[in-house]
Amino acid sequence: MLNASHEGAAPPRSAARTAIPPLVVAAVVWLALMLAIALLADVLAPYDYAALDLHHRLSPPAGLGGTVLHPLGTDELGRDVLSRLIASIRMSLLIAFEATCLGAVLGIALGLLAAHFRRWAEQIVLAFVDFQASMPFLILALAVLAFFGNSLALFIALLGLHGWERYARITRVLAISAGAQGYAIAARQLGAEPWRLYIRHVLPNIASSLIVTLTLAFPEVILLECGLSFLGLGVQPPQTSLGNMVGYGRDYLTRAPWILIAPSLVIALSTMSVCLIGDCLRDRMDKALQ
Amino acid sequence: MLRFFAVRLLRALITIALVVTFAFIVLRVSGDPALEIMSVDAPPEAIAAFRKAWGLDAPLWIQYARYLLAILHGDLGQSMRDGREAVVVVAERIPATLELTVPALLFSLAVGIPAGVYAALQRNSRTDRAVMVAAIAGFTVPSFVFGLLLVLVFSIRLGWLPSGGIGGLGHCILPIVTLGVGGAAVLARFARGAMLEVLGQPYIRAGSARGLPWRRVIVSHALPNAAIPTLTIVGFMVGNLIAGAVLVENVFSWPGLGRLLVVSVVSRDLAVVQCILLLIAAVMIGANVTVDLLYGVLDPRIRTAPLCAGAGRC
Repeated sequence: MLNASHEGAAPPRSAARTAIPPLVVAAVVWLALMLAIALLADVLAPYDYAALDLHHRLSPPAGLGGTVLHPLGTDELGRDVLSRLIASIRMSLLIAFEATCLGAVLGIALGLLAAHFRRWAEQIVLAFVDFQASMPFLILALAVLAFFGNSLALFIALLGLHGWERYARITRVLAISAGAQGYAIAARQLGAEPWRLYIRHVLPNIASSLIVTLTLAFPEVILLECGLSFLGLGVQPPQTSLGNMVGYGRDYLTRAPWILIAPSLVIALSTMSVCLIGDCLRDRMDKALQ
Repeated sequence: MLRFFAVRLLRALITIALVVTFAFIVLRVSGDPALEIMSVDAPPEAIAAFRKAWGLDAPLWIQYARYLLAILHGDLGQSMRDGREAVVVVAERIPATLELTVPALLFSLAVGIPAGVYAALQRNSRTDRAVMVAAIAGFTVPSFVFGLLLVLVFSIRLGWLPSGGIGGLGHCILPIVTLGVGGAAVLARFARGAMLEVLGQPYIRAGSARGLPWRRVIVSHALPNAAIPTLTIVGFMVGNLIAGAVLVENVFSWPGLGRLLVVSVVSRDLAVVQCILLLIAAVMIGANVTVDLLYGVLDPRIRTAPLCAGAGRC
């Protein structure tokens, strides 16, 4: 019976192993493009993102009645939408990247602490995990941001707090079970210090699950940043981010929808790409998370 | 069984205490509300009087003790902006938010679950792939982007529906769909996964082998078993629904709690923000506990399993 069920489930899996779905390939290409744009933002942007061109205010994109000078059109101050889009991509990706790393480091550290000390340390970490899971993060973030004022560093730190509990939870469970395995016991018997045991031996062994979690958390951080910036509580002008552009473009929805459409598409396609890749990675690498 | 329920309730209480403390710390320690409300160039006597009137001159721990005591008495203070009870200010916004969130949740359930189950039954077919790609799009496209695109198409281009505000039935459609799509997508993915897992179980094959019609196997064996894990996700969706409501209400100028929260946060109306935070925390914790308990009732294995398994979080 068991064998039969294995055979029944096996063919689609092995078929999926050989070929990467075209959608995932497209997602990888899109993300590579975004990364390249973020890295080469200064070279690629035709104008400074804050430069005004008062002769071409609210000019539609080229091909829809606009000039070739501004391929994606301009906003009501005559700022080039393409240049702002490029600057926004860099800003949003940078924030999401830093915040995700911050959250991962914090969560993994707390998860390892909980796994190592058990007892009350574990209970405290779990209580915070419960707390974090009990509130929609957007709402906590709203409260914190508006009351601590708004600086970019604080904003990134705040977004870093998002999702730490997921790494903590997974790290804790995996580290506890890894700690009971032969190699960890052997390393301990050989006199390895706890931190050496965790960093050199346990962490590499549980890394695949953590990486999958990371790819799943990344688009959420982008979405959160965009949402907060959209509400006017994230990245502040004159700096620009994707959510910021959408929020700003909303006021010109009837007269100049292109201000809003370009960043909206970038947000949607990027988060979708990360998600597709994350799903694919999860299906391939990780059985523990399924 | 009793122990399972008791531990869940205890954890819920600890979480509520943490939320209450968090609200206090963030709202009191971060800035001086007197200066925010009164403006910086107000005369010092006026500011001192304001602080005294609101108890802001006492040491923090006394403020904290007073705050806890007041909450236990159900007194959440007055809105600093118009002097009315914060509870009243918040309560009058609740119906508008419910008008949005409850239909949105129903929309998610009505669209998401059938789509997911259908996709699972047609596994690896073209329909399955289409549903799954649509689901990924549904929960990765942010609600405010989706909502604004809907406005662009249905309000501005086609002129079929109003773009915002509260009014007749027409005003509800776009916000409800915007709010419900994300949940529908999550549910579709989850229902598909749960269904596939159940379909791989031996008892399904046993049912078919006994000669039961396939429809009967699905309806009376597969669906109830797939419903259990799906139920948990509905509990988690409540949080997304509330966070989504904040954004969607702002997109559609809907006069609910979400709008009130953003306005109160911007104007530092402490009492109202606290009240909303506590309300949301209570709703979330209530939803999670209910789901956990229901889960324990539906699936007897949970009650004997390790504590954390009931929440499906470990």
